[in-house]
Amino acid sequence: MTADDSRSFASAGLIENAAMEPVTAEHPAAGDDDNFDAHVERVVQRAILRNIPGLNLPQSQSELDVGQTPKELVYSNETARLYHYTPMLDEIYRVPVLIVMSPVAKGYILDLAHGQSLIEYLLMQGHDVYMLDWAAPHREQSRLGLDEYVLDLVGGCVEAVAHDSGEDDITLIGYCMGGMLSLMYTALNVGGPVRNLACFTTPVNGDGMALFKKWMTSKSFDIDRLVDQIGNIPGDMINGSIQALRPLQRSANQMRLLNNVQDDAFVKAHLRFDRWAVDQLPLPGELARKMAKDFIIDNKLIRGGLELRGKPVDFANIRVPFLHVAALYDHIVPAEASRDLIDLVGSEDKKEIVMKGGHVSLVAGGNAIFRLWPQLDAWLAARDQ
Amino acid sequence: MSDGDGLDPMRLWREWFVKSEKAWSDALTDLMGDERFSNGMGRYVHEALHTHRMFSEAMAQYLANLNIPSRADILDMSDRMAHIEDTLNQIQVELRGQRSQLTKLAASAPGAEERKRPARTRKPETNDS
Repeated sequence: MTADDSRSFASAGLIENAAMEPVTAEHPAAGDDDNFDAHVERVVQRAILRNIPGLNLPQSQSELDVGQTPKELVYSNETARLYHYTPMLDEIYRVPVLIVMSPVAKGYILDLAHGQSLIEYLLMQGHDVYMLDWAAPHREQSRLGLDEYVLDLVGGCVEAVAHDSGEDDITLIGYCMGGMLSLMYTALNVGGPVRNLACFTTPVNGDGMALFKKWMTSKSFDIDRLVDQIGNIPGDMINGSIQALRPLQRSANQMRLLNNVQDDAFVKAHLRFDRWAVDQLPLPGELARKMAKDFIIDNKLIRGGLELRGKPVDFANIRVPFLHVAALYDHIVPAEASRDLIDLVGSEDKKEIVMKGGHVSLVAGGNAIFRLWPQLDAWLAARDQ
Repeated sequence: MSDGDGLDPMRLWREWFVKSEKAWSDALTDLMGDERFSNGMGRYVHEALHTHRMFSEAMAQYLANLNIPSRADILDMSDRMAHIEDTLNQIQVELRGQRSQLTKLAASAPGAEERKRPARTRKPETNDS
């Protein structure tokens, strides 16, 4: 039996019924066929539940308890949703932390479950945590480009955090493409409220995104035509592009699942990761156009020339304490795409941590829990002056 | 299904697949990076979109004749719901702001209990970074 078979059993209602109806020792009255059938069914269900592991697992991806840490919406503009997580301690650090997610990734990867949540960990250490999570753009929002994302949406959230917390300083943490947005915002707002900046697996060298570069520079691919025709880039298309970077990984993960199907905790963790991995957000058309042209094709973050509303973006202008965390086995943002970042940033206080792991396990895997999170906490705490 | 103890050929095969997956994936990715593949993929994307558009237009007309909503109609409705959701978010944010103001006012009133917000006075135990 496979995990899918298990879920089929579950979805057929056998599990739910078995869990809800306690089996009693009563025997059906002789001659009562309906009661006898029901009794046999209950006995069989109980036997299945006891003997086949995995059947108590959620019946669908949507039932997985992700993103459970209490939070409140404090700002909403276009696709930006700013949440404030309820502090868990009576005494917290002065400087609030704003986590900027990638516009194609949902924020619950950082809050998968109790004990597997960076958000929960930071709250437990006494940090005041906000998250800029993104909503799926609707068709009319395909006009949103990099200018709007960096200057209006990230900028609006930074102001909202300052207003909500009552603090003039904030720490920005950007994940993947959220790191690019955070870098651009900080570079364009020198002397602004950003006091510390941390980036996780953030690409800056378009040439290092080898496969995407080849696709986008091929003669037959035209990003303008694509965006003009469909507007927002669908999440499935983005997911397909990411899957192409390691085409058999998902199959291998399914094999791992089968090999560990007796372990409910493993299966549940796998389902959470798997749900997130295919839960990509669409990318607004103009943002996709700008990223494809300026970042991938022209590699302007390395060669220079990137401008937002006429202002040149130069990471050398960034002078605040800076942390870059990269993953050794990251196939989505390989080292070739991210290793230049530490040299581009002008800060004197800068540090790079390269950890074993992949693009996602870096922030949410076992290695993250025991190694990265404590280091991040120490880095933040030491700079909370 | 294997219990993990016996010699299960399917389990062995799965373990081999997991171990060799990276090499196979790298080979496939190299193949997809080939110039001919990239060109072919670019053409496929644009042709698929063109076909999809033609088919959608024809199907929309057909559905309209049957008085059944098309995908475009559903997307229109989805956009309108998204706008309503946006408005609700704005209201939620505004209410939170109002509540915060009221709490501040109540806390500043004579005799009121001090507002319970976490103090921003925490310091690191050791400076080891």
